[in-house]
Amino acid sequence: MLSERLQLKLFVEPAPHFEIEALIPAFHGWIREKRLAELVIDVVDYSHVTNGPGVVLVGHASDFYFGDLDGAYGLMYSRKRGGPGADARLEDALRRLVNGARLLEQDPSLKLKFRTNEATLRLTDRLHAPNDDATFASTKTEAEALFGRIYSGASVQTEHLIEPQGPLGVRIKTSTAPTLDALLEKLGGPPQD
Amino acid sequence: MSATTWKEKLAGSVREDWAREIDVFETQIDLRKKGKIEERLFAETRLRRGTYGQRYDNGQRNDGEKTQTLPFPSGELTKGPVTMWDAPGMQRIKIPFGKLTAAQLDMLSELAEEYSDQILHITTRQDIQLHFIHIEDTPDIMRRLASVGITTREACGNTVRNVTACPYAGVCNTESFDVIPYANAITFFLLGHPDTQDFGRKFKIAFSGCKDEPCGLTNFHDAGAIARTRIVNGQVQRGFEYYVGGGLGAVPYPATLFDEFLPEEELLPITQSVCRVFSRLGERENRARARLKFVVKKLGIEEFKRLVLEDRATLRPDERWSSFLNDLHVTDEKPLKPPMPIGPGPYPAGFEAWRATNVRPQSQLGYVTAKVTFPLGDFTAKQGRALADLARRYTGDAMRATVEQNLLFRWLPEADLPAFYAELASFGLGADGADTITDIVSCPGTDTCKLGISSSRGLATELRKQLSVISETLAPAAKDLLIKCSGCSNSCGQHHVADMGFLGVSRNVNGRRVPHFQLVVGGQYRSNAASYGLAIGAVPSKRVPEIVKRLTDRYIGEKLDGETFQSFIGRIGKKEVRKLVDEMNVIPPYEQDPSFYSDWGDPREYTIGDLGVGECAGEVVPIVQVELAGSEREVFEAQVLLDEANYPGAAERAYSSMVQAAYALAREKNDQLSRDPEEVLREFRKYYYDTKLFFDPFSGGKFAHYYFAAHEDRKAAGASKEGAHQLIEEAQLFVEAAHQCYTRIGSALP
Repeated sequence: MLSERLQLKLFVEPAPHFEIEALIPAFHGWIREKRLAELVIDVVDYSHVTNGPGVVLVGHASDFYFGDLDGAYGLMYSRKRGGPGADARLEDALRRLVNGARLLEQDPSLKLKFRTNEATLRLTDRLHAPNDDATFASTKTEAEALFGRIYSGASVQTEHLIEPQGPLGVRIKTSTAPTLDALLEKLGGPPQD
Repeated sequence: MSATTWKEKLAGSVREDWAREIDVFETQIDLRKKGKIEERLFAETRLRRGTYGQRYDNGQRNDGEKTQTLPFPSGELTKGPVTMWDAPGMQRIKIPFGKLTAAQLDMLSELAEEYSDQILHITTRQDIQLHFIHIEDTPDIMRRLASVGITTREACGNTVRNVTACPYAGVCNTESFDVIPYANAITFFLLGHPDTQDFGRKFKIAFSGCKDEPCGLTNFHDAGAIARTRIVNGQVQRGFEYYVGGGLGAVPYPATLFDEFLPEEELLPITQSVCRVFSRLGERENRARARLKFVVKKLGIEEFKRLVLEDRATLRPDERWSSFLNDLHVTDEKPLKPPMPIGPGPYPAGFEAWRATNVRPQSQLGYVTAKVTFPLGDFTAKQGRALADLARRYTGDAMRATVEQNLLFRWLPEADLPAFYAELASFGLGADGADTITDIVSCPGTDTCKLGISSSRGLATELRKQLSVISETLAPAAKDLLIKCSGCSNSCGQHHVADMGFLGVSRNVNGRRVPHFQLVVGGQYRSNAASYGLAIGAVPSKRVPEIVKRLTDRYIGEKLDGETFQSFIGRIGKKEVRKLVDEMNVIPPYEQDPSFYSDWGDPREYTIGDLGVGECAGEVVPIVQVELAGSEREVFEAQVLLDEANYPGAAERAYSSMVQAAYALAREKNDQLSRDPEEVLREFRKYYYDTKLFFDPFSGGKFAHYYFAAHEDRKAAGASKEGAHQLIEEAQLFVEAAHQCYTRIGSALP
């Protein structure tokens, strides 16, 4: 994947009494307790913005968003800089995302349940990954291979999310929905940096 | 072969001089990384390009329990004093008079998406800010902005900042004429001008088309120009009522009239000379006294004007002074569609309420303006693209960022309003309530600002949430109230000119730090922010919504016909408001309700560490608190005397409050200290100023200077209302600084 900047999101099952502000203490806890291997710095509350980034855990090389930018709540991992080489970027992002989602699922105060059979991917680097058919084709190939492998041979479907002027967006759907634990194990466990 | 850098990709599509400036800046970044540029010089260099630091950029962050070091990969490399290289920063983007094209909004959205956190933030000076930016991304951000005609040059630093103007200019029903061609001319005339490169502090300019509306806010700018016309020999002559030396900041000053009618051809040269005099005579050492307002005050307007006119006479003529007058239509907007009256309906749900607050008729029949309200000035990259698309389809390039942190669409055919609204609502931007009690202005505060003391955005979010629920049941006069919040005394949230303003402070309560906000009332937004409110007293953050409700209820219940909130406060007197504040000042013990000890939207305990409660603190601290509370009381009494037109008395009381605050601290070091003002000052200076114990990391000793100056001038300060008002503001800040000093000392106790 040529784009160093990418965003990968998993969605949560709708919860009737869920309040997004609950993510604020959760993310603060991640910083305080050093729950992530990577450097995370602060928590920003954008819950006042409709269909916005929600609550953001800002890091140095990457951020975590819990919001409804795509119209549905979920956790988005956003790689901003650094990270592994082009061949390993998507897998690294998936690993960090699944690790983050698992931490949220394990937080009893949140009562969140992720559905793992759908993800969205955005390449937020218009220079190296313009939103065109060629970029989509190469991204599709890479995403299908990775998800097929991590999801143990499940069938994978990809769809080009069309948004004029937007970055390249891809919806990824899988025929199975493994647990986050199973996915993380397959991905090599929590990132250690 | 495709481009591998933005520099390659955009080659030829960026103005040559702007491209060169950005290349130079990129080189400076490289040189700083190699240690070949001194950090202070680099800091000023990046600030002049609008590249700021942010909270925690010193590499330290309190997680609510302890201070953690942030191990940034670049180690000890800095981008300014105590500013780590890798720490996320803020990019301020100047948008002259807030005018945005669809292509520019698309680009800003791309940048927010690729380099920031998806959010575009409109400031109270019509800029746009992106947060959490890495310094090494800024050259590409600047190139991409330059490719759509935006420069960040002089967005910060000691320069001419963004030139602001009424967002209705050109379509307004009350303006004398469209000020935009003039604002445009002065923007690019002064940008990079040699006479504006050596200021001791920033310089802000604002334009207004009329005197009575708030839109231009000329009263608190270094230079403010209000459009005027006059008839000379049967000909209409254009000019400006021209003001100088206004400013908010910690101590707000109203602008002073420089010229009742400055002819249009003199606007640029006179402003150039104002800049030159400011550059020559402005303070350099003491930043707290470096704005133009202090020069004007020190010299007096007559002497200042004499110096400006004397300088003006020496200027080498510049064709740019008047060449723009040959085509005053260069900034005109062309409507996309013909005018058309609105149809009979039915209209989409919510449309009528939105239309009532967010839509205004233009001076051009059949066209309206429509304001898109952004909570806290924030909107997403995706919403930005959708707004750009709306502009392309409904209005053309006719958008303006406003100082209320919203976006104004102009040249909208009235007939298109329902469809326009329906589309806005479809992407979450159909909120009504523009310029009402729910349209709360806030600076970034503790969210991202290094100077923030309390969470202004957290408070604004909470107030908006609570007020939105009840807004439909509020009386019209209550709906019209304006609330503005600042995270500290620097007034970026413009709290002085709200009906109810709030500025963040902190207090020590039983050995713990508690977030508070000072309540500011009596300000006036209309008439270009004609008068400033004063702080009544500090309220715990968590009780601010309650005081807003109680003040609003009381206003609605007791107001006379047509009485504004400002007049109401004047009639009932500040003592009555103070009673409310005092009632709100009951804070439960931490063990009973810890929520008071955290700020809005931030669950971390609001503390700088474990405060000492040992023997020393247990005995001595309460005495300090009593003295500091006494000094606060004296500041309030000074306000009451001011309201009673006892200006010498008000000034004397304000000064006395400073002495008491200084005494409170100095007595810690010298328990034999008398209350003799000379001795108090001497001992305070010796133990707190000379040792820098009183200094805070950002303001240094500036608040102590207020005390020293008041001591020097105490016999003359109260001669005028303005003098007494200013002294009260300064006393408020000194007392507040004494509180902070005491807290720092307390936190250092074993």
